[in-house]
Amino acid sequence: MDLSKLTIAAFQEGLRAKDFSAREVADAYFAAIDAQNGALNAYLSLTKDLARATAAEVDAALAEGKELPPLAGVPLALKDNMLVKGYPATASSKMLEHYTAAYDATVVEKLKFERAVVLGKTNLDEFAMGSSTENSAFGVTKNPHDTARVAGGSSGGSAAAVAAGMALAALGSDTGGSIRQPAALCGVVGMKPTYGTVSRFGLIAMASSLDQIGPFTKTAEDAKLLFRAIRGKDVHDATSIDVVKKPFHYEPKKEDIKKLVIGIPKEYFIEGLHPEVAKGVEEAITRLRKLGFSFKEVSLPHTKYALSTYYIIMPAEVSTNLARLDGIRYARNVRDAKKLQELYVKNKAYGFGKETRRRVLLGTFVLSSGYYDAYYAKAQKVRRLIKEDFDTTFKEVDVILSPVTPTPAFTIGEKTNDPLSMYLSDIFTIPANMAGIPAISIPVKKYTVGSGELPVAFQLMGKHFHEEDILGIGELYEARQ
Amino acid sequence: MISKEEVKHLASLARIELTNEEAAELQHDLGKILDHFEELKEVNTDTVAPLAGGSLLVNQFRNDEDSTNRIQNDAAVKAFPDAASGFLKVPPVFE
Repeated sequence: MDLSKLTIAAFQEGLRAKDFSAREVADAYFAAIDAQNGALNAYLSLTKDLARATAAEVDAALAEGKELPPLAGVPLALKDNMLVKGYPATASSKMLEHYTAAYDATVVEKLKFERAVVLGKTNLDEFAMGSSTENSAFGVTKNPHDTARVAGGSSGGSAAAVAAGMALAALGSDTGGSIRQPAALCGVVGMKPTYGTVSRFGLIAMASSLDQIGPFTKTAEDAKLLFRAIRGKDVHDATSIDVVKKPFHYEPKKEDIKKLVIGIPKEYFIEGLHPEVAKGVEEAITRLRKLGFSFKEVSLPHTKYALSTYYIIMPAEVSTNLARLDGIRYARNVRDAKKLQELYVKNKAYGFGKETRRRVLLGTFVLSSGYYDAYYAKAQKVRRLIKEDFDTTFKEVDVILSPVTPTPAFTIGEKTNDPLSMYLSDIFTIPANMAGIPAISIPVKKYTVGSGELPVAFQLMGKHFHEEDILGIGELYEARQ
Repeated sequence: MISKEEVKHLASLARIELTNEEAAELQHDLGKILDHFEELKEVNTDTVAPLAGGSLLVNQFRNDEDSTNRIQNDAAVKAFPDAASGFLKVPPVFE
């Protein structure tokens, strides 16, 4: 079985035609993981018992001639910041190295309901903070296209697993680009849904006003299948929204997708954009033009300020969210504390890596008395201006097209000593999180970079709750290839 | 700019212990990042209301009722690093 070409759509057909059993496919993925994970470090842990039990259930249901839900038997990977009851959830932090999840995240509950086969938990930057997985306490994930390069981050493990055929699809979380950036660097599809579309319950919180769970797949068609399975209102997440009901329900017809007008924001084509990335985005535009899409130049004037705004708001939320990780409730690594204060300090010192400390301190700073107005309050105001840029632009166009990242996959170690240069790899993905709109990364093709070839992608950003627009254009784009 | 003393003060607020070297490195990194933030001063926000996030900017209400706890109490207690009689156990708060 060629796992590198398999899609969810093809898997469903094959399973129902009895070309293979769910158990056989799950075992084929575990064999692929055994063969490649040593070199790539995409998975931190496997959930073999759960996977095999679920696959057996699917095969039994199929033998009895029962109807199967859309994701039944689909072998999936989960970023290790999502809880699966009874299994580890480390968030790639030493702090949670020995933590076992006490309940299922809502997305996991939904996947279990569909009887999807969860293969294991994937590597990430510690608490999803980074753009390369180099901040993982458990080693860097390598890019399957060139193991000297990063897979991107923070959901680097999920992206690499799908790209290397170690999972048919995966879930990641995206706070400032953590799904789209690694998807672009690994050459797979990755989507961040509209904020509130997918429940965050059971996702280890990073920056709660920005975090959103979304799919990694090989195609936009598959992304749609996975997205539809995980979305929906959840009583455990007050910010979740019932998107399948009015007034949010939106399902355009295929012929309406072709009429969508695509905006090209001039602020996203900046100096310093890697020539191969520019070529890839040009290529995507050319292909979409041939499909009949019309384009319009647009302007999002506050784009320039999105990075600074993000690096104030996000650490502020990080410092509050991570305060609960103090060695008391979840896991205790250092036990020889005689006083409570000592317990906090010792466990945080042991558990938090460099980038985590940097962001906790930065967040503490921007929220501290005397600086709050100059930084945090100011950033919240600029955030509104960034959102209003999108509101205005979406009166002129339906969808916005841009690069995903300024460069293709960079070399491991290249940016680790300069946090600001690492932060810059998210400049094109951050604005969608600030505004809460959906955005997808779609691969174009591989281009020659240095001595090898690396994938390049383009990004589509849509209106709130209009995932179907960006997924629909993605499907038409793929069908043309 | 940020002083080394400020970095150490922040660290104590966040219950994070830093060595002198770490404090120096963080002072440098945070200083660079804070310099970058200076660009926000260019933006006129006099008449702009802050935006905290979210897609639906309306309050979400639920009835104030007791509900069955999805996370069973014993599962939560079992997940505690240290427990006694169903309670979290921690070292003394006071000496």
